[in-house]
Amino acid sequence: MTTEFSDEILMRFADGELDPDTAAQVERAMESDDELVTRVAMFMETRAAAKDALAPLLEEPVPDHLTAAVERMVAEKKAAEGPREPSEPADASVVPFPRRAANDGNRARWIVPIAASLLAALGGYWLGADGASAPVGNTDLVAVSDPGLVEALRTVAAGDERQLAGSNQRFRAIATFRDNAQTLCREFELDSAQSSTVISVACFADPGWRVTFAVVAPADSGGYAPASSTEALDAYLQAIDAAPPMTVEEETQALSSLR
Amino acid sequence: MSPRTGRVEDQLVAFLPNLRRFAISLCGSRDVADDLVQAACERALANAERFEQGTRFDAWMFRILRNLWIDTIRRQKTAGVHEDISERQDIAGASGEREVEARLTLKSVSEAIADLPDEQREVLLLVCVEELSYREAADVLAIPIGTVMSRLARARKNLADAAGITGENMRSDIVHGAKR
Repeated sequence: MTTEFSDEILMRFADGELDPDTAAQVERAMESDDELVTRVAMFMETRAAAKDALAPLLEEPVPDHLTAAVERMVAEKKAAEGPREPSEPADASVVPFPRRAANDGNRARWIVPIAASLLAALGGYWLGADGASAPVGNTDLVAVSDPGLVEALRTVAAGDERQLAGSNQRFRAIATFRDNAQTLCREFELDSAQSSTVISVACFADPGWRVTFAVVAPADSGGYAPASSTEALDAYLQAIDAAPPMTVEEETQALSSLR
Repeated sequence: MSPRTGRVEDQLVAFLPNLRRFAISLCGSRDVADDLVQAACERALANAERFEQGTRFDAWMFRILRNLWIDTIRRQKTAGVHEDISERQDIAGASGEREVEARLTLKSVSEAIADLPDEQREVLLLVCVEELSYREAADVLAIPIGTVMSRLARARKNLADAAGITGENMRSDIVHGAKR
């Protein structure tokens, strides 16, 4: 009594894709049919062999340029989605934001969320709501080109606020300091129309400002960023060996030297 | 508002090694594969809202990448470009003498996989290597499940013949009760 099983049936059996009744029939037949066992084993073995043969490809490191490109696209996508819901923690999600400041050294790259509002403020970029974004190079991303923001970075004293020219964003200067390369940097906050706050650090690299750090936090208390978002900032400031904030006199002098 | 967990943008980077492996096996060239992976990620992000939560992210990504690859092949054909992008030297090792050699010696498994017809290789990759179900593979390839099964069975018979896989190695496992 030979029950004929097609290759397809045996393959489905080997792959666990056969219905229980037919699978039971195959099993029973295998008990007394060595050739059938071998045919099933061939399907099991080819599967295992294929998996083994291609396993090394999985161990291969993904080229840096590819990872970087995908990370950048992910960052842009997240930025285009805009600020997080106020109910969510401010630091829940992170994306890489390569530092371009001088003296980068071997320092770990900073991982910070970028807000769409910040991108808009920096360069007039607005990523489409549908996520279809034009490619934005890193250089464009971090260079401050919005005239209102440039002016504010140059003139607003720490502790003062100003409505950015030609924008509905409020600029708040927090502190001015030098990093470990003696670069002049400013910590500031931007309140956007979506009632979120971007905490940011920009450093002056002739001829302009570059953003080296940015984190968006929902502003749930009158526009001031909650403490959780400033933890990332504090870690960043520590990493660049930020000098203590300048006094009013030092700041005035440092800023005037830029003109 | 989509749930924050399982979003495409949160899963993509971690999935790159798998996606790249599939791409390399599919097109046979690392350079082409890397471009393909990047393009697939771009498309996935642009269409992220179409990804259904609770479905397999890997299957979704494989489908996107494979569709891009099909587009690439079509474009190259219509453009009359005959750069041999399908020369699978990266996984099989370049060998113009392969046909001749094959009669004399058995191929390695990866060579044999590389030499399979495209339609057989892709279904083998999805089911045997990436461990998709037949149903999931059928969705990725946009073909009936019966076609998945017939192609997969042929792929494995061809692989077995080319690489000298007889089933004898696993026979004893089965006999000793290690059945699935």
